[in-house]
Amino acid sequence: MEQTMTSDIPTGLAILAPEITLAVYAMAALIFAVYTGKDRLSGALTWLTALVMAAIALWIGMRAPAAREAFNGAFIDDGFSRFARITILLAVAAVLLTGKDYLDRGRLARFEYPIIAALAAVGMMMMVSAGDLMALYMGLELQSLALYVLAAMNRDNVKSTEAGLKYFVLGALSSGLLLYGASLAYGFAGSTRFDVLITTLSDGRVPIGLLFGLVFILVGLAFKVSAVPFHMWTPDVYEGAPTPVTALFATAPKMAAMALMARVLHDAFGLAVGDWSQILVLLSVLSMLLGAIAAIGQTNIKRLMAYSSISHMGFALMGLAAGGSFGVQAMLIYMVIYVMMNVGTFAFILSMKRDGRPLADIAALNLYSLHAPGKALAMLILLFSLAGIPPLLGFFGKFYVLKAAVDAGLVWLAGVGMIASVIGAFYYLRIVYYMYFGEEGEAIDTSMPPVQWLFLMATAAVMLLGVVNLLGLEPLAEAAAAALVR
Amino acid sequence: MIGLEHYLSLAAGLFVIGIFGIFLNRKNVIIILMSIELMLLAVNINLVAFSHFLGDLVGQVFTMFVLTVAAAEASIGLAILVAFYRNRGSIEVEDVNVMKG
Amino acid sequence: MATILLFAPLAGALIAGFGWRLIGEAAAQYVSTGLLFLSAVLAWILFLGLEPGTQHIALFRWVESGTLSVDWGIRMDRLTAIMLIVVTTVSALVHLYSIGYMADDPEWKPGESYKPRFFAYLSFFTFAMLMLVTSDNLLQLFFGWEGVGVASYLLIGFYYRKPSANAAAIKAFVVNRVGDFGFALGIFALYWLTDSIVLDDVFAAAPALADQNLAFLWRDWNAANLVGVLLFIGAMGKSAQFFLHTWLPDAMEGPTPVSALIHAATMVTAGVFLVVRMSPLYEYAPAATDMIVVTGAVTAFFAATVGLVQNDIKRVIAYSTCSQLGYMFAAAGVGVYSVAMFHLLTHAFFKALLFLCAGAVIHAMHHEQDMRRYGGLRHKIPQTFWLMVIGTLAITGVGIPGTQIGFAGFLSKDAIIESTWGAGTSVAEFAFWLLVIAAAFTSFYSWRLIFMTFFGQPRDSHAHEHAHEAPLVMRVPLYALALGAVVSGMLWYGSFFGKHEQVNEFFAIPAHEETAAGAATAEGSGGAAGAGHGAVPAGGSHMTAAPGVAPEGAIFMLRGGEVMDRAHHAPKWVKFAPFLAMLGGLALAWLFYIRNTALPQRLAATFRPLYLFLLNKWYFDELYDALFVKNAFRLGRLFWKGGDERLIDGTINGVAMGLVPRMTRFARAVQTGYVFTYALAMVVGIVVLLTWMAISGGAE
Repeated sequence: MEQTMTSDIPTGLAILAPEITLAVYAMAALIFAVYTGKDRLSGALTWLTALVMAAIALWIGMRAPAAREAFNGAFIDDGFSRFARITILLAVAAVLLTGKDYLDRGRLARFEYPIIAALAAVGMMMMVSAGDLMALYMGLELQSLALYVLAAMNRDNVKSTEAGLKYFVLGALSSGLLLYGASLAYGFAGSTRFDVLITTLSDGRVPIGLLFGLVFILVGLAFKVSAVPFHMWTPDVYEGAPTPVTALFATAPKMAAMALMARVLHDAFGLAVGDWSQILVLLSVLSMLLGAIAAIGQTNIKRLMAYSSISHMGFALMGLAAGGSFGVQAMLIYMVIYVMMNVGTFAFILSMKRDGRPLADIAALNLYSLHAPGKALAMLILLFSLAGIPPLLGFFGKFYVLKAAVDAGLVWLAGVGMIASVIGAFYYLRIVYYMYFGEEGEAIDTSMPPVQWLFLMATAAVMLLGVVNLLGLEPLAEAAAAALVR
Repeated sequence: MIGLEHYLSLAAGLFVIGIFGIFLNRKNVIIILMSIELMLLAVNINLVAFSHFLGDLVGQVFTMFVLTVAAAEASIGLAILVAFYRNRGSIEVEDVNVMKG
Repeated sequence: MATILLFAPLAGALIAGFGWRLIGEAAAQYVSTGLLFLSAVLAWILFLGLEPGTQHIALFRWVESGTLSVDWGIRMDRLTAIMLIVVTTVSALVHLYSIGYMADDPEWKPGESYKPRFFAYLSFFTFAMLMLVTSDNLLQLFFGWEGVGVASYLLIGFYYRKPSANAAAIKAFVVNRVGDFGFALGIFALYWLTDSIVLDDVFAAAPALADQNLAFLWRDWNAANLVGVLLFIGAMGKSAQFFLHTWLPDAMEGPTPVSALIHAATMVTAGVFLVVRMSPLYEYAPAATDMIVVTGAVTAFFAATVGLVQNDIKRVIAYSTCSQLGYMFAAAGVGVYSVAMFHLLTHAFFKALLFLCAGAVIHAMHHEQDMRRYGGLRHKIPQTFWLMVIGTLAITGVGIPGTQIGFAGFLSKDAIIESTWGAGTSVAEFAFWLLVIAAAFTSFYSWRLIFMTFFGQPRDSHAHEHAHEAPLVMRVPLYALALGAVVSGMLWYGSFFGKHEQVNEFFAIPAHEETAAGAATAEGSGGAAGAGHGAVPAGGSHMTAAPGVAPEGAIFMLRGGEVMDRAHHAPKWVKFAPFLAMLGGLALAWLFYIRNTALPQRLAATFRPLYLFLLNKWYFDELYDALFVKNAFRLGRLFWKGGDERLIDGTINGVAMGLVPRMTRFARAVQTGYVFTYALAMVVGIVVLLTWMAISGGAE
């Protein structure tokens, strides 16, 4: 433990350079905007932030492949973390761009929005790279605090503020639970570092204190991925938050939390697979089923997407519950596909409006296909993909996690997954039904800004073309999983 | 002699009180904020106690982080609460239910 | 050339079926008809210039699986060539005829398009039939077999708005399934026994099969007999033989050209063709051939009796077809396959002629099919009358006994009857008498048809007044077929039923002298194997096959030569018997329907039970309905109502409409919107997890 910290600091800073860059950019942009144009700059700042994050994603992708540790193992820069960070950065950038028009129209275009999103991204990057409970906590809190603010961004709207309040209260509760677990883990293992934690389990037996710590930490993370029964905030927050923020909630933080879960479970508790796998199986089953069943009764498309994401998280957890390198690989593939599908779907939802006012009612989509056949078709492809209908990409995501589960001997879990996806197909197809066979009603405005159109069409195309080799996703996810599970 | 277990018991008690404060209290959201604070402090007691009995400084460093984050968290929570109050005119927990189902 | 011949009808079917919107209805008809004529011309060229011996033309590799390897190929020999001319000629003429017949069908509303569909089906049928007759292996044969079945189904049910047509189509399909099941079992058995379904391999192995036993349905059977019987069951279904004949009369619901082509001249003869094609196998299956003889003779008799009293003009001819097919089977069963093919050939001409004439009559009478409403049409449609008389003369077998001069049916049918006498076994003798009686009946019902239709007073004066001769496009095929009905018998008598040398040369069977040396050595093995089975007269065997080598020639007649010899030298009374029977039938018909038209009524009243028995076709439909159809329906309803609706649909609907919405309501109710509920859920969750882990986890 007594290592010389001084010599570590310059190397550590170099390793953390992308995170530091983004954080410094965010703070500089904040100060700059406050002293100059304020909200008038929001459009430019959104574009700039998205570009900066895309550039950082590229940077991370270009770095030397060797795994490195910084600050005494608190920060790990390996293949797994890079995979997750690139996904997160690109997802946040994409969501920022697709949501811009919505915010402009709703007079919500505040210059803080891209900056806070960037800070949340820094938090997420910290999370997936954490090698220490403290780094984990700090990253998680940075992300969470930023997202609390974003949820309540529409300050004059009762739903938005209520969403923020609910998210804050429950998020704080989950943070408390996670922190309590962290303290137990620290106490019983004598260290907060993952690589030390795992050594205390080396005889294959887990001390009860550590086990409780594991459960608490897992619960805190389950809250972030909105796994049942820690999902209750999700529908309300998705509905209440401004739609661009909902799109953000649905994508990057899910990836970050899921990756963090994989990181903690494999790096810190990798020798207690038998214990956490049981928990994950339970969470997975409940999430898949409840997500599918509860979504059926929804009329608000944002709420529906909330339940949809709960169900999808159940599938991703199934991959993780399978354990092993292939399970992590399946989870990563599933999450990337999930994020892409959600970016496209939310690009469409963001464009739903009538007389310039945003809409979230599914019934408003009646006969959408007559007015905008191309967009309706793209949305149909995305919904089919979400439902997991072959040969679209969403099917392959499900295929991988189911295969992982079957390979791990969890055949019944895979069976439940299939049932859940059959039930789940119903509500996706219901949207398709409205779009193609609904009744004539008040027409919805079908215009769509170019950026949203681009993301909608691009993701739909990816869902179709992904049949070819999954667009090279598989070997990348495999390498990332191999970096985590040694 | 006060041992580790006493500290842990105290912390666990405070933590449970904090949790109960969140879901038993139906009146004031401020009380929820206090309950959260209580939970975090219980964790701090845990960390410091462990730190002391392990002879390791990391727990106390962790506590510092937690305190800082808790302060930031409380400020954000209060800010959201103020915004909510302006819209709804109430900070009763039972009034935070526009969205459900 | 054979390839073009084979695929021209397919091209016609595709063009007419899918391309008619591009080229128009008329063009679709002409294109498919033209392609059929091309096929017919090629078939005749092939037939007349056929080289001796069997040619194998492999088109492409079809199935390759384990030891099963099958080419898509053409087996070109005399047998194939005969079937090719029959199929393509009749089909081409029927296509031509249909242009006129289908021109304005009252079944369809004006402006509705049905003609391209009809021609596409006809051409598709022809293609499938050609696949069947040219096939070099049993799989391709089965493919063609099922293809013609599908085409038949489509064409019987062509008037899909008529419930009776749909019912008839389903009946034809289902009854054929019974036969096909036997056929498929036969193919499986052959593959299992010989490890091949290529015809040559099967033929080569045939002598060995006669010594093998095969366990099937709880006991051992002689392999050759079992396979023979199974294949014959398939043939029975397709050729509407006794027990599986019920579909053929109902199949007359289809348009008349279809009846002429499919249900008279070609498809129904596929069963006969199959037996003849498999002659190298049947020659070693005495029990199976006995069964064929009996079935054929009984069918010939049975169908003729029913034909006596039917009133629907097409049904009369349908039963006549059934009966004539029985003749063919009887001939094949006694071992003179050449004669079976002879009758198949001549029958195709005169039966297609009769059907098309009937079509012309129906056309003239505004689609009235009941003969009781005809009468006196002789003067209204004289051309049709004379053509139909030619057909009747052919089917009843008019000719000069003791010579080889006569209408087609005279030569071929008498050849069959003589052959059954010549076979000399008791089974064949039984067949002989049945066939002679059936010949009398044939004569009676055929002339009855003529007399009721064309003679006497018009019974429906309105329709009679408007009766008109068919257009030229319909009459031309009639004349062509009439020519065939007159001369085809005399032309090929020698080739099918003449001297040995002539027959052998025609079918490219190695001559007696050439194989004499081989026969002497093979006598011990192949011949003795045959002799071991009693029914084969070993000593007189003219031909033997060396075991392990497929016999040369298009057909294989182990016994046939001797049977033919004896038939040729049959006593005079045998040769005169069918002729006399024919005369008797004619006289009786004349008495009943010209001289004293009240007689049939009185007779029917006197022998009412017998009359009803015949009129109701021996009550086969009622029997099958009670035995199979009702029970099948009952079983189907059990699975449908009980199994499908209640069990499967019920469960799924119950889950989908009952359970899931209930759970959805519950899930929504839990989502109260209150923060404390959400927090409570989390706390409950963590407590459950902690407890579970404390109990089951890997704790110390």
